[in-house]
Amino acid sequence: MALTRRTFVTTTALGAAALAAPYGFVRNAKAADEIEVGVLFSLTGGLSIIEKSLADVTLMAISEINAAGGVMGKQIKPVVEDGASDPKTYNEKANKLVVRDRVPTVFGSYTSASRKAVLPVFERRRNLYFYPTYYEGFECSKNVVYTGAVPNQQLSNFIPWIIDNLGKKKFFIVGSNYIYPREMAKVCKILIEANGAEWVADEYLELGHSEWGAMVNRIKDSGCDVVLSNVVGDSVVAFYREFKNQGLTHDKLPICATVTSEIEIAAMGPEFAVGSYTSFPYFQAIDTDVNKAFIERYRMFVNDPNAVTHHALESSYFQVFLWKQAVEKAGEATPQAIVEGVKGQEFDAPNGHVKIDPENLHTYLTPRIAEWQADGQGKIVDDYGAPIRPLPYVAYGETDDNLFCSAAGLDSSKL
Amino acid sequence: MAEVVFIGLSLGSILLLIALGLTITYGAMGVINMAHGEMVMIGAYTAVWTQIYLGLNLFFAIPIAFLVTAGLGLLMERVVVRRLYGRLLDTLLATWGVAILIQQAIVLEFGLRFFDIRVEGLGPGLQKVDVPPVFLQTFSIGDFVIQPYRTFIIVLTAGLALLTWWLLYRTAYGMQVRAIMRNPSMAASCGIDVKRSNALTFAFGSGLAGVAGVMISGFRTVFPDMGTPMVVDGFMVVVVGGVGSLLGSIASAGLLGQLNGVIASLSNDILARAVVFGTVILIIMWRPKGLFSFKGR
Amino acid sequence: MTAKSRLELLAYCLFIAGTLVMPQFLDEFWLNRVSKYLIYGMLAVAIALSWGYAGVLNLGQGLFFGMGAYMLAMSLKLSSFTSLQQGSDEPVPDFMLWNAEPGAPTDLCCITPGSFLWIPFQEQWFGVAMGLVLPALLAGVLGYAMFKNRISGVFIAIITLAMVLLVRLLVIDAQPITNGFNGLTDLGWFTISGFEFDPYLVETYYLVAGCLAVTLIGTRLLVNTRAGLILQAIREDDSRARYLGFNVAAYQVFFFMVSSAIAGIAGMLYVVSAEFASPTFMDLTFSITMVVWAAVGGRHSLLGACIGAILINTVEATVSESEMFVEAWKAIIGLLFVLIVLFLPRGLAGLASDLCDRLLAGTAKKRPAASTSVRTGPAE
Repeated sequence: MALTRRTFVTTTALGAAALAAPYGFVRNAKAADEIEVGVLFSLTGGLSIIEKSLADVTLMAISEINAAGGVMGKQIKPVVEDGASDPKTYNEKANKLVVRDRVPTVFGSYTSASRKAVLPVFERRRNLYFYPTYYEGFECSKNVVYTGAVPNQQLSNFIPWIIDNLGKKKFFIVGSNYIYPREMAKVCKILIEANGAEWVADEYLELGHSEWGAMVNRIKDSGCDVVLSNVVGDSVVAFYREFKNQGLTHDKLPICATVTSEIEIAAMGPEFAVGSYTSFPYFQAIDTDVNKAFIERYRMFVNDPNAVTHHALESSYFQVFLWKQAVEKAGEATPQAIVEGVKGQEFDAPNGHVKIDPENLHTYLTPRIAEWQADGQGKIVDDYGAPIRPLPYVAYGETDDNLFCSAAGLDSSKL
Repeated sequence: MAEVVFIGLSLGSILLLIALGLTITYGAMGVINMAHGEMVMIGAYTAVWTQIYLGLNLFFAIPIAFLVTAGLGLLMERVVVRRLYGRLLDTLLATWGVAILIQQAIVLEFGLRFFDIRVEGLGPGLQKVDVPPVFLQTFSIGDFVIQPYRTFIIVLTAGLALLTWWLLYRTAYGMQVRAIMRNPSMAASCGIDVKRSNALTFAFGSGLAGVAGVMISGFRTVFPDMGTPMVVDGFMVVVVGGVGSLLGSIASAGLLGQLNGVIASLSNDILARAVVFGTVILIIMWRPKGLFSFKGR
Repeated sequence: MTAKSRLELLAYCLFIAGTLVMPQFLDEFWLNRVSKYLIYGMLAVAIALSWGYAGVLNLGQGLFFGMGAYMLAMSLKLSSFTSLQQGSDEPVPDFMLWNAEPGAPTDLCCITPGSFLWIPFQEQWFGVAMGLVLPALLAGVLGYAMFKNRISGVFIAIITLAMVLLVRLLVIDAQPITNGFNGLTDLGWFTISGFEFDPYLVETYYLVAGCLAVTLIGTRLLVNTRAGLILQAIREDDSRARYLGFNVAAYQVFFFMVSSAIAGIAGMLYVVSAEFASPTFMDLTFSITMVVWAAVGGRHSLLGACIGAILINTVEATVSESEMFVEAWKAIIGLLFVLIVLFLPRGLAGLASDLCDRLLAGTAKKRPAASTSVRTGPAE
């Protein structure tokens, strides 16, 4: 039986209390039948709304593995740390996990900012980070395994689909003002132009901005026939609401989003999103037994019958299993061995079959497009059918045959 | 062009809605209430609760939120603020502490989370408030599209500003408050019960914040940290307008709102925010007492 | 020298000695952590100087901290390994490549608009100098404009607050040269004549502890100079000081600049020990949190404020291993803060000072408590 959430919290709290012995005279003695791993998400602060669910599902995956006998007969012991929605804290906690607790792997981060803040720690200390979120690409680290989508897995089928199936020709690109939306916009423009359509604007708003009056008005005046949204976080809610407040409808002017997931839909009220589209490799609505059982188990674990699952959450889940397989293949739990072991690992995740690319340590995922329904679920209207290869440098012309990032590292001459 | 002006008006009305309560508490009492944003937050949560537990829509949440936050304000005045009169900057710090407490009360579900009890409508997550369908039907006059929700906010704000004006300038209570504004010790020696009057003023200001919270819940996300940026906006409006000047607050909210709306429409929202911050800095430097001010205190 | 000032001297000596012997007891991880807290302590000293001694409540201290941090981080970014690997003779930060328009030249001069500003930062001394000069310069200009116009109290708080939010917005928006929201990461190590300050080395800790000790002693001496006394007179009554013929604005500007420069140094040291710079340094809450540290420690005491910052952060780090504790801890800090402002306006240092008074009075002759504020303290 899986641990319930409550006993789990208690045991981790006890474990944490033992670790918290101030000013580390005591090195915590590691039991020989345990492998410690770090779990680093924001449990407090603004991002905890999403990151808390990622931490929960990571712990769920660990408890499932433990219940099934653990890794190489050893139990996995999670060391949970709170990033507090703040890169400063992320950096500090990553240091604690890597330098003090000496865990061989940390699962964590949702935003690029927090990943960037911890990256130096993992690269300098040659440790290993598993990052579950879709992100902008442009990274080629030997110390990070990326299990979320990169731009080509979210956009390369999405843009042609919008142009061909929805018959849209004029894109208004809007996003939050940081690197992920800007890179997504860059890839979008390439794809839009390659498919014979045009973009009329490329606009940004501060992260967390919640006053959309002026921007939606400009969308209205721009003469576009589709909005491509890379808006992130709680701004999404204000955006969709304002969109409807100003009398725009998704049947005439649909919002096609790369970030809007089940969580944001639930927070805004599905009536504001009905008829809009999102591209992700995973949706809660995926109709397979694996996924249904996964949702069931997750709801049980967090003790909330209405909890929603989403792409980053699903990646947080299956990456723990990929890690387990990697450890077993490597035969030892050291960061270097696990990196070698994880290359080419495959797993049947709730979204389907996934595989770690042996060259760039990103993940093969299946792009899907969903149309949001009145019940807050996405109806999958397009499915790529098979996992496609991750290309983190696609904006610079990376293709399947011409990889920029390989096991040898980044070939900067190709940039 | 009309739409740009409308957006500016709408932005200004939201600013004023937030700042109205501050104008009174800061103007009349000299209290810099950093927990004002949390009052707005509580107002928004009240809208969530009336929806979940009473099944009532946004309209009914307005008076309920007013009462809830006014009560909370009264409590806060009694327990914390009252002890700090005359220590202006200290009220800023103490109310910041209160703000953290209120936020954590929501996040920790009033402490119930320690016992693993979940309460719907509380906790760290996002909440939502349904907007009555009337507000979602836009209609147009000529080329100009009327957005009912924003129009309602503008009308409500105007109504509340009028009510505040009436209370301050046409009632005995208002005369007392204005007397305290000018000179509290003189007012006290004239037989005005300064403590009681201040308590009422603080409660009224907090109540206005609660109403602002309800309206904001209709088009923004509701979550425990939502109040922090609002208190900054509110203070900028009040300080630019001139301490204790209702007219000043209205004028500065209108000015900053239009400035924001026009620049956001012509260029982008980020520049608009930057210009607003810059304008605030320059105005305070140029006229430290604000646009409209009187000699006093 | 009175008995009390002797005790104060003893406290300073004990504290500085305490920070210097830390490496005997701590492992490399905690040493790095404590060095960050010492840096926070330095920030609190800067706050106490401007708030406690000058009566200027700066709610935008994060601006100067962030500036110092970014200036040094720019230099260190250019010396990092990846910056040298971007296919150019000069080092080019990797993020500029992602932000550049396709086909732009990959030279620092013109890869992105404004990237030429980075050119002088190839020399590390330039970054250090700018980290010191820029905050002080900006504080000078801002302070001159504020204090010349006799702006005081809450208006300064609002101006500094608007200022830090404005700069934060611009830094995030200028993504091609600042890497926006992600901040500057993947930095090289701070190097002095060939010695690399790995954040986990004892030497790095001593660098931080040494800077803090110098700051503490320097500011403590400074507030006892004639200028420092005049400053306190201005805090008590600025018009009276003005009538006595003092150039009030000049003193205020000077101390505002000193306070900002200390924040700038703290920012640079933070980059050395945390290896990144981020726009969250300029978040509103961080700036207010600094004020909280100083208030809890004691705004009128440089050492008290410093200890307050270190204490709060150490406790926070130790309780934060469990999620429940973290949230509860925030509530406790909020409550503690309200109580301290209400009943203990001079903070822990005030409490300590009152205790000293009692101790000394007890040895001499019984005398009534010096301040009402001890009434609710644990002293009873």
